[in-house]
Amino acid sequence: MKTLFVNIRYLIVPIMSIGTIYGLIIGGLYIWTGVFLFGLCIILDTITKNIHLKANFDKNGNSDGIKSLQYAIMYLMLFVFIALQLALAWRIYQYVNTTAFDTSIIYGLTIQNGITTINLIGAVISAGLWAGIGIIYGHELSHNKKQGFLMSRLIMSLSGASHFTYAHVYQHHLHLGNEDDPATAPRGRNIYMHTWLSHAGQCKFSYDLEKSRLEKQEKPFLSLSNKWILGYIYSLPSVILFIWAGGFLGLAALLTLWIIANFELEALNFMGHYGLIRGKGKNVEHRHSWDNDSVFTDWFFIAIGRQADHHVRGETYFWELDDVKGPNYGIGYFSLFLITLIPPLFRKYVKKHLDNWDTNFANDEEKKIAQQF
Amino acid sequence: MFKFLKKKNKNFKAIINSSMYKIDVKSGQNLLSAALLQGIPWPHKCRVGSCGTCKCIVLKGTIKPEIDFANVLNAEQLKSGYVLACKTALKSDIAVIVKIIK
Repeated sequence: MKTLFVNIRYLIVPIMSIGTIYGLIIGGLYIWTGVFLFGLCIILDTITKNIHLKANFDKNGNSDGIKSLQYAIMYLMLFVFIALQLALAWRIYQYVNTTAFDTSIIYGLTIQNGITTINLIGAVISAGLWAGIGIIYGHELSHNKKQGFLMSRLIMSLSGASHFTYAHVYQHHLHLGNEDDPATAPRGRNIYMHTWLSHAGQCKFSYDLEKSRLEKQEKPFLSLSNKWILGYIYSLPSVILFIWAGGFLGLAALLTLWIIANFELEALNFMGHYGLIRGKGKNVEHRHSWDNDSVFTDWFFIAIGRQADHHVRGETYFWELDDVKGPNYGIGYFSLFLITLIPPLFRKYVKKHLDNWDTNFANDEEKKIAQQF
Repeated sequence: MFKFLKKKNKNFKAIINSSMYKIDVKSGQNLLSAALLQGIPWPHKCRVGSCGTCKCIVLKGTIKPEIDFANVLNAEQLKSGYVLACKTALKSDIAVIVKIIK
C-alpha cells in the first residue's frame, strides 16, 4: 500500500495535463480547463500543510519508488505534451478557417467545433501553462542516462528551450550561487528581468560549450554534430505545425506558449536560488538552495522543491530526495510564484528569509559578498 | 502490487588504488555514490558530471557511462581511460585509480 501511494502521488501533473488536453478537445468554456486547474493548484498549494517528508525506503534500505514505472511515466509525458500542442494547433486551425459553431460526437465525446477569439486566448494560455510544467520532467531526465538526456532535450524543445538540458547540468550545478550562473538570481533582481537574463545566459553557455567541444574534436560548428543547433532543430516540428495550422497567427500562438512556458521554467530557477550566495569553486552545500516543505509542491513538482538535497546529491532520484533542513521560504511554489509577480511584494517577503540566511547559514566569505547588495 | 516491476539488484566489486579499498557497487548505482556511502574519501564536488573532480582511471573491467564525458574530459584524458565516477555505472567488477587526499 505504501509503495502504491509513494508512486502514484506524483501523477498530479499527468492527470491535470491530460485534463487540459481534454478541455481543448471538448471546446466551448472547457477550453479554459488548463487555466482553471492552474488556479486550483494555487489554492491547494496555499491551503495544504508543510510536511517534513522523509525519503521513502523500506526496512531493508530499498527505495519505495519504482524506477521503471516513474521513468515510463516521464517518457510518456513527452507524448502528452505533444498531444497538448496538437490540440492547440487544431483549435488555431479552426479559428483561422472560421469553422462553423456546431457539435460533433466522436468516440462518445461531444465536441464543440469552432472557437471564439476569447476562447482562443484561453486555449493558448491553458496550453502554455501546462507546457511550462514539462520542465519538471525535462529537469529530472537531464540528470540521467543518454536516452533520458535525449528525452529531456525533446521535452524542453517543445518549449523552445532544449538548451536547458546542457546549461542545467554543466553550468547551473557547477556555478550555483555564483555570478557565473545565470540561473541564480542575485538579490534585487525581479522575476521578469530574470526570465530574460537567465534564458539568454543559459542559451549562450550552451553555444559556448558546444563550440568548445567541436573545436576539441576539430569538427565544423555548422553541422548536424552541433548539439546547440540540433536543439533548435528539435523545435522545428512545433514551428511547422503551428505555421501550417494558422500562418502568422499560429506562429504568434506558439511564441506566446513558449513565453509562458519559459517564464515558468525561469520562475522555478528564480524561486529555487534567489539571493543565495556561494564562493567561486567552493563545494555546494545544503544552504546554497531554498528548500520547500509544501506537500503539494513536493508531489506536483516531483520533488523539485527539494533543491538543497538535489544540489548536494544530484545523482539521486527525485523520490529519494530528503528534507535536509535547508533554508526555507515557508510556503509552496505556487503561493510564492504569485508573490514574485509583484516584485516589491516579493522583496518585502523575502527580506526576512535572506536576513535569516545571512545570520544563520552564510559563512564569512558569503556574508562579505552579501554586503555588496 | 507493483513489486513485479522492481529490478533485481546485482552487485559488482570495485578495487580502488591497487586494493587500498574494495567496495560493492550495486547495479544502477554510480561508482562515486557507492564509494562515498562506504566511507571512501573520494574527491567530488558537483556529483552530476559537470566539474570533473571525481575523475578516475579504469584499469580493468567494463563500465557504462551515463553521460558524454567529452563535455568535461579532454581527448587525452579520455584516451588514458579517465571516467567521471559520479556518472559511471558498472557492468562488471572493475579496478580503478583515483587521487584520494586523506
